[in-house]
Amino acid sequence: MNGLSKGMPRALLEKAWLGSFLAAAAVWAAAMIYSGGQGGGQMLGAALSFSTFFVIVGIGQMLIIATGPGNVDLSIPGTIALAGAIAMKVMDGEDSLIVVGLAASLAAGAAVGAANYGLIRVLRIPPIIATLSSNLLVQSTAIAYGRGLRVKPPPAFADFTTATVFGVPVLALCAVVFAAVMAVVLARTVFGRSVLAIGQNMRAAWLAGVAVDRTRLLTYTLSGLFAGLCGALLAGFSGGSSLDMGMEYLLASIAVVVIGGTSVAGGKANVPGIWGAALFLFLLLTMLNTFGAGAGVRLVMTGLIIIAVITMAGGDKPAR
Amino acid sequence: MLKKSLISVAAVSAIFMAGAASADTADKRIALSNNYAGNSWRQAMLKSWDKVTGKAVADGIVKEAPAFTTAENQATEQAAQIQNLILQGYDAIVLNAASPTALNGAVKEACSAGVTVVSFDGVVTEPCAWRIAVDFAKMGEVQLDYLAKRMAGGANLLEIRGLAGVFVDDEIHKGIVAGVAKYPQFKIVGSVHGDWAQTVAQKNVAGILPSLPKVDAVVTQGGDGYGAAQAFKAANRPTPLIVMGNRHDELTWWKQQKDANKYETMSVSIAPGVSTLAFWVAQQILDGKPVPKDMIVPFLRIDQENLEQNLANTEPGGVANVEYLQADALKVIASAK
Repeated sequence: MNGLSKGMPRALLEKAWLGSFLAAAAVWAAAMIYSGGQGGGQMLGAALSFSTFFVIVGIGQMLIIATGPGNVDLSIPGTIALAGAIAMKVMDGEDSLIVVGLAASLAAGAAVGAANYGLIRVLRIPPIIATLSSNLLVQSTAIAYGRGLRVKPPPAFADFTTATVFGVPVLALCAVVFAAVMAVVLARTVFGRSVLAIGQNMRAAWLAGVAVDRTRLLTYTLSGLFAGLCGALLAGFSGGSSLDMGMEYLLASIAVVVIGGTSVAGGKANVPGIWGAALFLFLLLTMLNTFGAGAGVRLVMTGLIIIAVITMAGGDKPAR
Repeated sequence: MLKKSLISVAAVSAIFMAGAASADTADKRIALSNNYAGNSWRQAMLKSWDKVTGKAVADGIVKEAPAFTTAENQATEQAAQIQNLILQGYDAIVLNAASPTALNGAVKEACSAGVTVVSFDGVVTEPCAWRIAVDFAKMGEVQLDYLAKRMAGGANLLEIRGLAGVFVDDEIHKGIVAGVAKYPQFKIVGSVHGDWAQTVAQKNVAGILPSLPKVDAVVTQGGDGYGAAQAFKAANRPTPLIVMGNRHDELTWWKQQKDANKYETMSVSIAPGVSTLAFWVAQQILDGKPVPKDMIVPFLRIDQENLEQNLANTEPGGVANVEYLQADALKVIASAK
């Protein structure tokens, strides 16, 4: 598989990222047609706002998934809840403490990520189990720490997270820049190259002198860090932190990565695809809500459409 | 090991039989089996339980009343927990169940071992258990009754539902549908699932809003009103009448709007302190009092007049709460007969 895709990676990669954007455009158009063309711009604005959070955690999740089969971070929901609670509590509604609060939540996220890799490397627990159990620990810590406390974000922080320029959310623009930077990091730095090399064959990468341990530690730490960032921003955006605010990111963070064209088998990552996939998932739900579909129909449709999009736009044909 | 536990169960049952005859609960042990603790409502529920039972233990009304919560919100896990509680010899188990039917086997085992089971909020269908149920459909209907008074000429409604596939969501939705049938001047123009979480409600309302005509009122299930308000604000739409669900953030927002522009609405939910009502009912049953198997929990409804008073009693991040007294339990028992 890798042998084949090595010959034409450009075309395939581009096709994979285009696919999720095309799918997003299609569901958006369908929703627009149904509602008689009204509110299309606002719908896109909302999609950009909410996709931002999925993109931030999705990029962290992508780094981990790209390091090969079995690597996944299931501790994202707990980390988001904990980081959100820490950010709001440390900021305590004061504009002057925004930076401190942000730093505290990022540190908490990075610590969770590093601890995850500790469980995986030192205790030799498979990532899926290690991160799932650390999610329980972190979520419980968030409950004990926050006790359901919903402290309001400082006004300046709330304004920043909800600000728009010509209808485009500022946070989304930042996330586009962030994604662009991460795409360069992945393609042009030793770290990015190491992630993909490990994903293709960990032993070969190690024999070739890639710092396997350090790279994997960094992927888990970054994923935790990004989840921490997402938690703090989400708490600012939605007017305070809540214990259940990370819940939907458990599977959604994996879904945006896979729909975006990153290979679950590792070794092949796709940053722009995450943006397309996040927009697609949001607009898909919006479209089905606009149609007035019941919950059952909606879930079935969501499943079927995701399968269809992955099959059509997944790009990577098995080499047989 | 098994033999030993069987003997201890038998011994405990024997003690239980003897205790019931003397009509005194000072030596009784009541456990709370709870399936979930991950939101503010459940946190308040556990806190109320600790507060009220702590006092009851100090006053010598019962011997002990610890709370146990399962980690994963799974029926199988809670069934195992109930079996442990039986082996540990509790006289009564107060139960907020993960499933109305999946725990019936474990509940039946408890009953056979002579343990009194009182389920509340998440009730079980097993006939040997007591049920303190919430009339969720009524919770949906009262919202429409209120709207009919406020908007006699009719209105466009946005419905925010709870978690798809959960009994409570279906029941409240049924009540809302029944209310709309009763007052045909109302029209539901859109419906989204908010999963009883502010962030999810905010996201899904923000998604559907652009495609909707003017929304005059939002009917909700609790835990979603503040998120809806945020979504309307972000979309630069006029704030509709949003029915609230007693959460602190919802009440705080309502109070701000009330002070700023005389905003009027109502708020309805179940007080998390219903766990303490279940505690007192269990205590009454252990005391040998006749108690009907099915009871209904009163709502906690907040209106324009008593908003400030309720907000003052609600702690930040929590839910408006009432802790019940023994006398309240007697009232609920009496009204069920």
